[in-house]
Amino acid sequence: MRDEHVKKLLDEAPLSSLGKAELASVRAHVESCDECRRAFDAAHLSSRLLQSRAAETFEPSPFFQTRVLAALRERRAAEEERWTFAGLWKSAGLLVSSMAATVAALAVFTFVAPQEQTTGQEVAGTYTAESVIFDEAGDDQMTYEQVLTSLYGDEDEAAR
Amino acid sequence: MRRHSPRVFRTASRFFRRREQVEEAAQEVFLKAFTQLDTYEGRGSFEGWLTRITTNTCLNLLRSARRRPELSASDLSEDEGAWLEHNMAGEAAARQQSFERGVVAADLADKVLSTMSEDDRVVLMMMDGEEASVKEVSEATGWSESNVKVKAMRARRRMREAVEKLLGI
Repeated sequence: MRDEHVKKLLDEAPLSSLGKAELASVRAHVESCDECRRAFDAAHLSSRLLQSRAAETFEPSPFFQTRVLAALRERRAAEEERWTFAGLWKSAGLLVSSMAATVAALAVFTFVAPQEQTTGQEVAGTYTAESVIFDEAGDDQMTYEQVLTSLYGDEDEAAR
Repeated sequence: MRRHSPRVFRTASRFFRRREQVEEAAQEVFLKAFTQLDTYEGRGSFEGWLTRITTNTCLNLLRSARRRPELSASDLSEDEGAWLEHNMAGEAAARQQSFERGVVAADLADKVLSTMSEDDRVVLMMMDGEEASVKEVSEATGWSESNVKVKAMRARRRMREAVEKLLGI
């Protein structure tokens, strides 16, 4: 120990945990080593400071329990409120999305479906009697209604 | 709560020095314990579980109010300077002890500790202040035992160096 520095030993374990023999050899070393003596003095003071600090403790005040229970109730109430709000928000979201879906469906029925009917009539109008008779357009691609329109549509209009 | 309050207060007192701070931390600990009671699996002791919650809560509170000023001899009060001087000069044991038991030493300890990290503070207070074992610190903090040993060694060195700097030696 006499030739070894004790700084590492001082850092490895609390000073109070050193045995008598260990402490004696540390003291013997620091007598002749200034660097280790400074470290030992500082470690000694550190240990005393920490013990003084650790001795300080507080007892709970008489109202502590009441305060904690009140805080617990408050926190639970806040949490419940948050859940209620979240539930309302979710319901409102569902309502809005179902309304949007209804509006979209109505829009489809109102604007897209009638256009499809018109398109059918327009297609029928493009066929002529000659094209049908001479099979230019291909019968298999025409509906019965289209055939009738192409054959008699013009005559009916002329008769009117 | 009555049964466990002293233990929680004692643990929180390692981290804070003002009564309001200790009470605030203890309140937070009990609120957490109430809300996390279902996570206690009954494997370890309930006291150990509560100590761990206390340690972690206090560490988090300290971290959120992080302030680690540099400490120099000029920051010491007259009493604190005197305490150091008397201890260095090897005054009578009775006088030293009366000083050590007093607020001055605790004030000074707190000043030195405030310049260190939260982890250093915990490990020093527990191991060197209260003579807790490595295992106890490991259980309270959730750090591995080897981690506790390394942290303790580094913290002791930093504390020693801070005191050396204060003493101007």
